[in-house]
Amino acid sequence: MHAEAKEPSRQLPQGLTPPGKPRVVAKSRSRLRDTVSLQLDRPFFFILPAIALLATFILYPFVSTILLSVTDSDHAWVGAENYVRIIESERTARATLNTIYFVAASIILQLILGTAAGILLNERFKGQAIVRALTLIPWIVPGIVGAMTWAWMFHTDYGVINSLFLSLGIIDEPVRWLTNPTVVLPALVVVNVWKMFPFVAIMVLAGLQAISPSLYEAARVDGATFWEEVRYITLPQLRTILASISLLLIIAGVNSITIIYAMTRGGPADRSLITSIQIFVEAFQYFNFNQASALSLMFFAVATAFIAAHIWIERRHAREG
Amino acid sequence: MKLGVRTGWVYLPVSLLLAVAFLPFLWMILSSFKSLAELYHIPITWLPNVFTLVNYEKVLFDSNVPRYFVNSTIVSLGSTVLGLIFATPAAYAFSRFQFRGRSVWQILILMSHLLPTAALIVPLYIFLGYLNLLNSLLGLVLVYLVLTLPLSIWMLTGYFKSIPLEIEEAALIDGASRWGVLLRIMLPLSLPGVVVIFLYSFVATWNEFIFALSFASDDTVKTLPIGLAEFSTEYDTDWGAIMAASVIMSLPIAAIFLGLQRVFVGGLMAGATKG
Repeated sequence: MHAEAKEPSRQLPQGLTPPGKPRVVAKSRSRLRDTVSLQLDRPFFFILPAIALLATFILYPFVSTILLSVTDSDHAWVGAENYVRIIESERTARATLNTIYFVAASIILQLILGTAAGILLNERFKGQAIVRALTLIPWIVPGIVGAMTWAWMFHTDYGVINSLFLSLGIIDEPVRWLTNPTVVLPALVVVNVWKMFPFVAIMVLAGLQAISPSLYEAARVDGATFWEEVRYITLPQLRTILASISLLLIIAGVNSITIIYAMTRGGPADRSLITSIQIFVEAFQYFNFNQASALSLMFFAVATAFIAAHIWIERRHAREG
Repeated sequence: MKLGVRTGWVYLPVSLLLAVAFLPFLWMILSSFKSLAELYHIPITWLPNVFTLVNYEKVLFDSNVPRYFVNSTIVSLGSTVLGLIFATPAAYAFSRFQFRGRSVWQILILMSHLLPTAALIVPLYIFLGYLNLLNSLLGLVLVYLVLTLPLSIWMLTGYFKSIPLEIEEAALIDGASRWGVLLRIMLPLSLPGVVVIFLYSFVATWNEFIFALSFASDDTVKTLPIGLAEFSTEYDTDWGAIMAASVIMSLPIAAIFLGLQRVFVGGLMAGATKG
């Protein structure tokens, strides 16, 4: 039993137990009921249903995935062969590079835009509450809806973006945003940045509100300009929260299946295929479950490393703060 | 916390920000009221020349979208309610008991909350296959618990912690059991929190795409996001219908968000990573 109580759970947390008689009464009553109810009040029984369910839907499937990753389609043991084959596959190399490009480019832009928007939303102006709410729209609305809307705006012949750029003379002929191999990934980065920067903005806003106003007061007394305040107070104070956000953005970025799959299905010619979509493609288009399992597990390992780093930063931050 | 309004400069970047965030959706809404002939016409028109509901009629009366809307509602409600039921006792234990391994369990739950869904599609596909639950609404409800349960535990623990111990203490002294306290005191007191978690879980499952795509390929169990993606095929894409369906799909989410905007923002911060 993992969650065995250190002390009888009925006992109230230390320091909060009322002194004197009531405590004695509660204790003797509780002993009686503990025996009667087979100790159903122990913490273990409270967390058991949830833990059992999560174990069933995460742990157990994972064990079968590990088994699949070291066997072939006839359930015969093949050792590391699936891993070697999927690692050596050209599609994996392409997808890995795409993922790194997509996530890195997205994060840089999301952090810049999001931080700027957060600082802006922290300024006082009329209609601030409404503007804050409207800024969140890209993030609130279903990913598939955002993806379809941008796909329509990116449309080569009838899309508003080509139409606008042509009339402004920025481009001479329509750009095939979603089918031109060199343009497709940057175009998808734009959509992803648009979708996630409001999240950064709100997190930054929360971080800004924790900065002591006295820092800014002191700076004003010394005659600091707005930009000096941003450079020497705001950004240094936001460092931890930005590190934490970056890791969340990486985790979200490697998983941005909806936008990419809905807009390009990973094409043209795998030019916008990222690893998370490759897992889906290997399994459900090529029906290669054994290699897809191997890929899943490697993807899981990398994702877990980022998750652990995020939790580590958060806990350290919580202890310090 | 800032010291006051500096100048009017702020309105320029603010309007830029609003344009970036909002214009794509304005375009979606405008497009949904244009006829196909107008959508596929150069030069493009900004406002609809002829305001038409033909796209909405097509989506509502001549497609599977209403069916998918019902499926989405069933799946989201089911997994949200189940998630809350399983989360409540766990959150209570995490907020009120000291026990061995507590922080380890909490970290594991947080990790399962952050885990990218892509890492789980193959394992869950195999598992649902064993259970014979592929292509069933029940199967989707169960896998969506992977999304809703960790989040609900995480947020509910916070709400329970904010309730003063004294109330509970009095009940315990009067002989109430821990389960009695949880159901009769803690849950009613944290009702506002429960509502927020309920809505957040609902939105997360309503928007979910890759599980639905992998585990529900039959028309009778498809959800709205898949139905929306279906309007676009390689050779023929009905953009008018897609824009109208997008508006319809966004409506419940917009209603929830506008109604609960203030409480909602904090909750969203807790669960931003599930795509």
